[in-house]
Amino acid sequence: MIPRFSRLSFRTKINCGIVLIVGLIAIPLAYLTWRAAAESLLTETRKRGLVLSENLAMRVSDAMLSMDLLRLKNMVDELKKVDDIVYAFILDRQGNILVHSYTGGFPVELIGANAPANGAPHIRLLDTGRELIDDFAAPVVIVGTPFGTARIGLSRTKAEAAADRLALMIVFYSATAMVAALAPSTLFARRVTERINRLKAHAEEVVKGNLDPRAGPPAARACSDILACDKKLCPAYGDRDRRCWLTASPDQRGEGPESCRDCQVYNEQKGDEIQDLAETFDVMAVSLKTHLDELRRAERVLSRQEQLLRTILDATPDLVCLLDEHLAYLAVNRAFAAFLGLEPAAIVGRTDRELFPADEGEAMHDHNRLVLESARPSDREVFLRRNGSPVWLHVVRVPISDGRGRAMGLLRTARDVTQLKQFQEQLIQSQKMESLGKLAGGVAHEINTPLGVILGYAQLLQEDVPPDGQLHADLQTIEKQAKVCRKIVADLLGFSRQAESAKIEMCFNNSLMEAISLVRHAFSLDKTVVVTDLDERMPIIYGDPEKLKQVWINLLTNGRDAMDGRGGALLVRSRLFTRDQKVTAWFADTGPGIAPENQGRIFDPFFTTKPVGQGTGLGLSVSFGIIKDHGGSITVQSPAPPGFFDAMEPGDAAGPGAVFVVDLPLEHEETIGGPQPADPVEG
Amino acid sequence: MRRRDFLLAALLAPALAACSRDEDAVRVNLAKREETTLRQQPRAVTYAYLPQYAHTVSYERHRLLLDYLGRATGLTLRQIFPDTFEEHVRMVERAEIDISFSNPFAYIRMARSGARAFARIVEPSGKPDFCSHIICRRDNDALRRLEDCRGKRWMAVDPSSAGGYLYALGEFLDHGIKRRDFAEITFAPGPGGKQEKVVLSVFAGACDIGSVRDGTLDILRGKIDIAQIRVLAKSKSYPGWVYAARAGLAPEITAKVARALFALSIERPNDAAILLTAGMRGVIPATDADYDSVRALAEKLGLDAIEETE
Repeated sequence: MIPRFSRLSFRTKINCGIVLIVGLIAIPLAYLTWRAAAESLLTETRKRGLVLSENLAMRVSDAMLSMDLLRLKNMVDELKKVDDIVYAFILDRQGNILVHSYTGGFPVELIGANAPANGAPHIRLLDTGRELIDDFAAPVVIVGTPFGTARIGLSRTKAEAAADRLALMIVFYSATAMVAALAPSTLFARRVTERINRLKAHAEEVVKGNLDPRAGPPAARACSDILACDKKLCPAYGDRDRRCWLTASPDQRGEGPESCRDCQVYNEQKGDEIQDLAETFDVMAVSLKTHLDELRRAERVLSRQEQLLRTILDATPDLVCLLDEHLAYLAVNRAFAAFLGLEPAAIVGRTDRELFPADEGEAMHDHNRLVLESARPSDREVFLRRNGSPVWLHVVRVPISDGRGRAMGLLRTARDVTQLKQFQEQLIQSQKMESLGKLAGGVAHEINTPLGVILGYAQLLQEDVPPDGQLHADLQTIEKQAKVCRKIVADLLGFSRQAESAKIEMCFNNSLMEAISLVRHAFSLDKTVVVTDLDERMPIIYGDPEKLKQVWINLLTNGRDAMDGRGGALLVRSRLFTRDQKVTAWFADTGPGIAPENQGRIFDPFFTTKPVGQGTGLGLSVSFGIIKDHGGSITVQSPAPPGFFDAMEPGDAAGPGAVFVVDLPLEHEETIGGPQPADPVEG
Repeated sequence: MRRRDFLLAALLAPALAACSRDEDAVRVNLAKREETTLRQQPRAVTYAYLPQYAHTVSYERHRLLLDYLGRATGLTLRQIFPDTFEEHVRMVERAEIDISFSNPFAYIRMARSGARAFARIVEPSGKPDFCSHIICRRDNDALRRLEDCRGKRWMAVDPSSAGGYLYALGEFLDHGIKRRDFAEITFAPGPGGKQEKVVLSVFAGACDIGSVRDGTLDILRGKIDIAQIRVLAKSKSYPGWVYAARAGLAPEITAKVARALFALSIERPNDAAILLTAGMRGVIPATDADYDSVRALAEKLGLDAIEETE
């Protein structure tokens, strides 16, 4: 029953309560009133009966003395006219009926039914079968002498009927009052529930996030209007929607809201509890909205900062990750995820053991734990192999601790240092080669003198022996091989820059053409054609013509050798770049090209792809040294850039080819009659 | 559940209590009826007191005297109560009253039917005579002398009252004031207590002057403020109340009664209580001749003519 009652609407509950209250008041009240009225009526009836009977007893004295039966009869008959008096009669002192109000005989049983007791009136209830009668027997006493009895019968049934009518009337009025109370209670309940429902709707709006509606009624005048206040900085200034004792700044409120009790504004705008609740709710909504706005702003700032941090982390090529105290990933950057080939979300929560190959993962996990336990940063380089390529990573681990110094995770950054490693190796190799060159140069210089002696004595001996003899032929072989040795020695000397360099102003194109003309015929025998595309402005450079010619011949020969006897084309192109103060020559072949892994090493001394005995591996390194000596540079591109051979005849291009690019600086400014003058030199 | 039962019981208890009645009713059958008949009174010597007061006052005054007379004479006496003076006179004439105690005027009328005075009382004043007091309100400044009563409203006790009307009327005549000179002459409404009614009427202002026998004011002393009443004039004194035996009453009865009356002495406490209660100090013998002065007054007033016209 109680749960069912709790589901009733508030309005119904109020109505039920009012009906219950009115009922609880009215029913006992009606009962008590009825009882009291009945008692009172009974008492009054008795008093009245006593008064009437005593009055009758007094009034009949004279008539009894004079035996004036007519007057006596009139007296009892007068009483009989009263509605609730059933009878009245007079007895003389002997108990004889003098007069009575009955017609058609007197009910004799009445005579003995009641009598005065000890000279005082006596009341007795009589039951006639049809009704109850209060019989009053008052003695007629004259000068202390009993002269008879005056008897009156009052109908109690009628008196009780009057009381019952009164009770019925009270019940009727109570019911009317109950019905009448329902109307104002319904109005009251509707008023209250309407306001509560409005508050509820407002609360629902707040739950939905809409903090703008107002639950409380707006005031007719703002507090600033009532008090003629000019403090415009006060939050309550001009605000009719909210009450100033809830919103005003503390300096306006004095010692707090309690100080507002005597304020005119408070007394004018103060509402009941529901209005207070609504207004407090409004203030709460506004406060909430303010806090929410602040939170959103803070969230935007945080989001922006997070985005920036994320961008920084994601943009950095370093592999950055954060691990928790159990060494599971908390966050990783995009580079790390790309390194593992996974999405960041797939990494978070997992450990190195799960993400890396068994041997690597275990080692990394152990090292992570070591750093976490020792609470000291670690810095080391790790070698891994990815897709068959070696990868060097520089890994830094930084433990992270909470406010109490307890380790709660670690930050790990790893940088790919493979290229750096290669450079380091190349540097070591270069230093090694430089030492070797110096050694070879020294050896060659020492060998050159005995070799000259061997060559000289071989030539002298030839003069001493017959020209067609076997001895002569052997001497010629010695001479020839000695010359080969001398060339090797000369190359070694050149590589180690110990050869003399004689630089002069020279024509770049002529130098090229001189070398080309030397090899063109020999190359043609190997089905190799040499095509030239030279800058017509005939650039002049400052260089050693012999050494440069050696470079050109080396490059051309290298190109011819690359085609491996199958024939092809060699394209020599020169261009002057006055803006950059350089001249560039391209030596392109249509050979099979150079493998990428070899491109970084072809200028190393003694590096050759040719079979043993066919190359010393010194040609390109010597050429590299000469060009470097001239302040220029030599690089290789393979395959040749597309369209490079467009100037040549179609069909000549047989392979991807390779292009050697030689840049030489223009040592001297010159006017070569070109449309574009040379740019001025800085300084 | 128990709480609900308790609540129900609490609500029903008064209702149940209302069903009970705290007194037993006596069963009476009103259908059983009979016509009533009064028993015949036993034969007795009837004694009546001229109803100048209420019957109860008359009864009270003469109850002890009648008890005494019964004891002293051995006769059975019964006091009866005629409602008016006239009825008293008539009842004496009809022999319904054997011993009459009346004022002198009533007596002289009864004497005409043969009644004879045999005793008269000594007034409480100690004299065997009494007079009429003409009274007015004390604050009535317009009444200073008897002559001022002309044009005033006069209430008297009864047209046949000696001290209450006739003696005063004689006094007015002696002063040349006739009945027609008054604005109105009214008499106290009957029956009984008429002397008191006159005093009360004057006291209430219902009339300007009133006439009562002497001694009346003392009777009312405890009931109203007697100081508000002023005695304007007193009439001449005439013989007081008289005991008369009706015509035909056995003389020995009269003699017994007379003896018993004469035997009463104010000196004896028991007798004094009887005498003072009856408003007298003693009883002395009387003869019819004692009332000639009253007859003269009645003639002067033209009472016979009045009676005939009334």
